[in-house]
Amino acid sequence: MSHDELHEAAGPSLGSDPFRQGDGTLPYLIRLRERSIRIVAEAAPTRAPRVTAEDEPQKPPDLGPPIPELPSFDDRDESASALDRLASWILTPGDEDRLAQITSVLGGRAYDEFGLSPRVTRRALAFFKLLYKYWFRVESSGHSVIPEKEGAILAANHGGLLPFDATMLVVDGVLGAKPPRLVRTVVDRWAGTLPFVNVFYARVGQVIGSRDNVRELLRLKQLVLIFPEGMAGIRKRAADRYVLQTFHLGFVEESLRHRVPIIPVAVVGADDQAPVLWDLQPLAKLLGLPFFPVTPTFPLLGPLGLLPYPVRYQIAYGEPFRFYDEYPPEAIEDPHAVRYMAEQVRRRIQEMVDQRVLDRRAKRR
Amino acid sequence: MRRVLVTHVESPVGRRVVKALFHDPEVALVLGVGTESEPSYLAPYRGKVAYQRLDLAKARHLQSFLHSERFARARLDSVIHLPFAEERAGERVPGGVHSLVSETRRLVEECAVKDSIERFVYLSSAFVYEPEPGNGNVVSEAQLLGFDGEGDSLVRAWIDSDLVCQGELHGTTLRMTILRAATIVTEAGGFLNSPPLAQRDVAAGYDPMLAVVSDRDVARAIVLALHADRPGIYNIAGHEVFPRSQLGTSVRRIAGVTLPEPLGSALDLVERLLGRRAPTGAAFERYGIVPSARLAHEALGFEPQYRIEVRGAGSARRIDTVRCR
Repeated sequence: MSHDELHEAAGPSLGSDPFRQGDGTLPYLIRLRERSIRIVAEAAPTRAPRVTAEDEPQKPPDLGPPIPELPSFDDRDESASALDRLASWILTPGDEDRLAQITSVLGGRAYDEFGLSPRVTRRALAFFKLLYKYWFRVESSGHSVIPEKEGAILAANHGGLLPFDATMLVVDGVLGAKPPRLVRTVVDRWAGTLPFVNVFYARVGQVIGSRDNVRELLRLKQLVLIFPEGMAGIRKRAADRYVLQTFHLGFVEESLRHRVPIIPVAVVGADDQAPVLWDLQPLAKLLGLPFFPVTPTFPLLGPLGLLPYPVRYQIAYGEPFRFYDEYPPEAIEDPHAVRYMAEQVRRRIQEMVDQRVLDRRAKRR
Repeated sequence: MRRVLVTHVESPVGRRVVKALFHDPEVALVLGVGTESEPSYLAPYRGKVAYQRLDLAKARHLQSFLHSERFARARLDSVIHLPFAEERAGERVPGGVHSLVSETRRLVEECAVKDSIERFVYLSSAFVYEPEPGNGNVVSEAQLLGFDGEGDSLVRAWIDSDLVCQGELHGTTLRMTILRAATIVTEAGGFLNSPPLAQRDVAAGYDPMLAVVSDRDVARAIVLALHADRPGIYNIAGHEVFPRSQLGTSVRRIAGVTLPEPLGSALDLVERLLGRRAPTGAAFERYGIVPSARLAHEALGFEPQYRIEVRGAGSARRIDTVRCR
């Protein structure tokens, strides 16, 4: 394409070419600017409907009264009403109010950044409330230490084959805490790769374990549940139940970085729901699983053997650790200091667990 | 007063950008560039907007234009480059997406040596990021890019173009701003800039979250980036996030069930042996990308002004863009 062709290409459709206006009397730029201003000013009244009303991004057309900010629920599922009716039957008006308080933080959005859906959460809460009340018969105490609005890290001991301890803590946060708080559990990355499971976790507000996710949640002043033992907690053998494994240190670092308290949480019952007799690591590696447990019922009864035994749960929240009051944020760089803080939390949780295990034994006698 | 060259003005985003610049008192001249004849929507804006038909993918065209009297008289000082803004989900550019990479490279190189060009705003995509379950759901600008030699060709082209522009981030003459937009929702309810929504087959058991942003907000962000002298990389996203299943159309089908490794690999192998396409291709089919626009808010003053609402699904799906109160 030659220079002339370039000029010709813009010719007729533009009317007079704005680049060919210079006659030597005025600088081209000044003329163009003045011409632009004049044309816009003159054309504004007549062209207003064409340009401003339809195209002006700052002035949308008058659409009448504002649209209420209602969540745009997914209504694809025809069975939705049946499930929702079932949830309505299980959940009391008080439960509904608590759930509404929690999901109000979405500000009318149907989902949050992590995939939380109020509708799916409501259905899940209805189901897990039954487990909470009638299967695990959860007794919880110490809710007063949970902050009303601020962010915090809940550090709990981990046990049981399937993470029902996390589930019960989430339900306890909704039904037991005052005001109700949604506990955002940090789940193992492996769970994020599992089809269907990853979607369910996201819809009920649980997040995949990554530093970025934890930081984002704490920035949003959320209640983050972390199991510092990690996978070691749930694959420990029955002989080691209620003995806390070595803690990972990330939760202490994030606590210091974001200046949020660490609330120690003791969960008693989870270690009894599916006692692991052996961990068949070679088979686990072959199948690409983090561990392959053998319990009294699994794999003997197939997938049904994974179901938890109906053990009683006890949940206790301890006095928060506020390490950020004693240590500067730079302490994150000191592994010994961080390890020391993590060990303090571990010991505290161990004490809380031991106390409740002893109390439980005393009651049985 | 800025004098701006806008590429691909025939695209939906280009259209919005031109209109926003027309109403911007800080912009003196807009020279739109497109490969087709002049779009009819430009007619009311002739007082400030000129159009040049030009195929930027052809080096000779670009050279001719840059050395023409027309370019000299325009005295342009800024460039807004929108190479992928016309890429509708499921469609491909006739010349191939790689021609857009070449186009971007040539344009950036030429602008870098032109002393008169001070600012360059490039519209990239948030899908350049690497979607991994180990990464955060909400990704910042520091997130690694998803280099995948066997990945989607469009995504690879985005990454290549993004890298070309990143090469000028620390240049001395050109002030480069890269905007990585989430899935763009047009006024008509269509989607731009979203490979997951272009996939016909989906992997069962995954429903990644996708951030959405109105095309008007994207245009606003581009104009803000033009005026703010803050070169760098910024994510652009709206307030709303939706799972892919709610944005996708009802004609999708489930291509198969995916399983974790190595069971997943075994299933893929069986499916390939049976002549079926394995559904576990790109990672963005499984894991969502929700870009955080916090940096754009702090540095550029970007705040989404439109909410996206999705109601229903399939043929009954309706997508509304509602101005925030």
